[in-house]
Amino acid sequence: MIRWTGRIKFLFLLPAVLWVLSFTVFPLGYSLYLSLHEVERKVVITGREKVPVLKSDGTPVLKADGTPRTRTKVIRELQTSFTWNNFANYLRAFRDEEVREAVRVTVIFTVAAVGIEILLGLGLAWLFNRGLYARGFLRSVMILPIFATPVAVGYLFFTIFYELGGPLSWTGIPWLSDPDWALVSIILVDLWQWTPFCFLVFLAALQGIPDEMIETAQLDTNSQWEIWRYVILPILKPVIVIVLLLRFAEAVKLFDIIATLTKGGPGIATQSYSYLAFNRGFKMNDFGYASALAFLLLVAVMVIVTLFFRRLRTSYE
Amino acid sequence: MTALLAGSAYAGQYVEWRDDGSVLLKLGPDYDNAVIETSREELGALFGPDQKPFEGVNITVLTLDSGPKGGISGPIMALRPVWEELSGGKLDVALVPITDLYAKMMLDLRQGTGLYDAIVVAAFFYGDLIAGNYILPIDDYMASGDFPQWSYDSMPDSLRTLYTWKGVGYGTLNDADGQVLYYRRDLLNDPKWQAEFKQEVGYDMPVPPRTWQQLLDIARFFDGKNFDANDPDPDSGIVLHLKVGEQGLYHFQSLSAPFAITPGEKLDRYHRVYWFDPTDMTPLINSPGHVAALEFLQELAKTGPSAQISWSLGEAWDYFLRGKSVFVFSWGDVGSLCQDPSRSKIQGNCAASVLPGSDRYWDHEKQQWVETDDPRPVGNTTGGSWHGVISAFSENPEAAYSFLSLMAIKPVSIWNANNGWTGVDPGFTYQFLEPVGEAKLEDYVKAGWDPNDVQDYLKAYYENFNAETMLPYLRIEGTPEYWDIMDKNLSAAMSGEKTAKEALDDTAKVWEEITDRLGRERILKQYQEAIGFEG
Repeated sequence: MIRWTGRIKFLFLLPAVLWVLSFTVFPLGYSLYLSLHEVERKVVITGREKVPVLKSDGTPVLKADGTPRTRTKVIRELQTSFTWNNFANYLRAFRDEEVREAVRVTVIFTVAAVGIEILLGLGLAWLFNRGLYARGFLRSVMILPIFATPVAVGYLFFTIFYELGGPLSWTGIPWLSDPDWALVSIILVDLWQWTPFCFLVFLAALQGIPDEMIETAQLDTNSQWEIWRYVILPILKPVIVIVLLLRFAEAVKLFDIIATLTKGGPGIATQSYSYLAFNRGFKMNDFGYASALAFLLLVAVMVIVTLFFRRLRTSYE
Repeated sequence: MTALLAGSAYAGQYVEWRDDGSVLLKLGPDYDNAVIETSREELGALFGPDQKPFEGVNITVLTLDSGPKGGISGPIMALRPVWEELSGGKLDVALVPITDLYAKMMLDLRQGTGLYDAIVVAAFFYGDLIAGNYILPIDDYMASGDFPQWSYDSMPDSLRTLYTWKGVGYGTLNDADGQVLYYRRDLLNDPKWQAEFKQEVGYDMPVPPRTWQQLLDIARFFDGKNFDANDPDPDSGIVLHLKVGEQGLYHFQSLSAPFAITPGEKLDRYHRVYWFDPTDMTPLINSPGHVAALEFLQELAKTGPSAQISWSLGEAWDYFLRGKSVFVFSWGDVGSLCQDPSRSKIQGNCAASVLPGSDRYWDHEKQQWVETDDPRPVGNTTGGSWHGVISAFSENPEAAYSFLSLMAIKPVSIWNANNGWTGVDPGFTYQFLEPVGEAKLEDYVKAGWDPNDVQDYLKAYYENFNAETMLPYLRIEGTPEYWDIMDKNLSAAMSGEKTAKEALDDTAKVWEEITDRLGRERILKQYQEAIGFEG
């Protein structure tokens, strides 16, 4: 009976294991294999033969004279060869100027967008936590952008940044036609969409701080800044770290807004790393190189996150 | 008319077989109940009132998605029920955005999935299609007499090259892409503007401009003036569609041809070449001719709205159609859109001409500039010239061909050209007006064209496709990748991030890397075959 229970628990686990193997491990393994091999494909037509045309029920289609109607069947073979490429795709990535530029764009975007979102989110949360007129209504309005799909957001801002007659055209700023402003525009769109997320999480965290703790702190100092610096921020620190990590993981994958708003341009001024990898794979049909780029990003993110957690653990210890 | 008076032997919902041998293809209410008249002979031996040659057969055509009444996909949707009634088969149309078509197609072909029996391709896909043997030749089908009848003979050589490979037919007649110049007839012919131009610039305004340098003078003259009475804002000399990842690079291709191509009797190492040295695949894209052309384009762009750096076709075309610029150079769609009163304020004033030449060009042999008093236009087939090919993985190649060839017959092709929304641009002999072609002005006028506009339009396209010197078309494996980096560098140059020389030097450098990676010998052979270089 005990042995049966032991087996059945593995049976219950089997679907999850199969799921992970099929949809996580296999694609990862296959893309790693692709990135390390040169793939050559060619169709070889070896012959043609006449075969009867069949109806959906399997019976042959007949001509007016009662003979079966035929079609030509092309006999062909798809020849595929995989050749070990001596890490050529990875070496190429380090030489590729587009990769360097895409890394630069992604780093600028991630640092600027995530940094400002966290600061703004904290500020807004603090404001809302102090009590504000129509707070409930404003809070609901504030979080609406989170629910918009990034593609729709991209198109929405394309009309907002439209330089001839768009709502922001009075500023005279070349929002999308100047390389530097185009990157600023991308950052602004991301701020619009994701600051509310930071705000919402920070507000929840602030509201979770017991009033007694703040009141006790107020016995020691009248300075709001000192209360923030020495009481509230240390309490919020784990939440800030989680928000930072979540936003960092999303920001380095920046794709949708660029695809709809700038297509990486002008030139490659707003081409993010993910957009470049997508472009290589799905536009240029170079899946080996795109896989290599994706793996390099994966390794970079893993290293950064690991270092981050290690430092965090050290600071707690 | 004769056909309409004749008796009907068999009338289906979409196809009517007449006693006199004519056949009416009825497109139904979605297409304004348009009727295309053809004949039993033209439809080939397979189709007939009592024949359903592909009953039970299901085919799928992959094409770009512009909607049921949009460019390229529209005519396919319009002819679908006709073919289904003729053949007894079923046609599925797989629609994907233009930017994803190449990737979708290659994914299916490289994996051998065989989802699509026929694919509507751009001519620059051929390098990949031929290298992988992914498409089937169609010469035997054409010769059999079984299928709807059409011929490559109606194509000028410039277009025929795009539909064939080494003389073997692969593509079925459909579209003819090329860029021509559109200009405002009313403005350039206005004596007031002409007098002011002469006073300001010092010579008579040439209408249309024969050289790019003249065009720049005119664009500069009009730029900033409020010649459009519809609003109080200043207007522009030209408008360009320069958004990266879209059609920006095609402007450069068409404009730079007369600067960068050395004319000659025949194509050899130095003459009539544009992309690469055909003896060793050294890029020519950063030649002094190309660099000067890009510097010229930068100057020309200054006479247009600065926002055009981020504009796609739609925004640029609308700007011209609203009367906000004097010039635009683009595809045939503009000519037909000019006739659409819901979008255009310039019907009747939308003149067209072949793209200008240049009063100097780079001599690749002598490595020097040549000044010329007789600038000749260089024709172009810039664009996709979208047309159907048959996948080597199709289980029903005959059925697929029967549909594509139905799309290619003369009356359907004329109907496509008459109706601008089809996105099928004119290029075949019978689409041009008499005496160079067979079409009649009244047919175009009946379809809503202004007579002056359409005469200019068709003349421009005729001269473009039959020009003595043509911009060679790039049809080698990896063309999308070569063009991708070119597009990005051009965009960087147009937005001021790079100089023209830097942009084209960077392009040439990456092209060398791509060629080496794909295999120089292999790509060189393909390039030579594609442009007809014989050594």
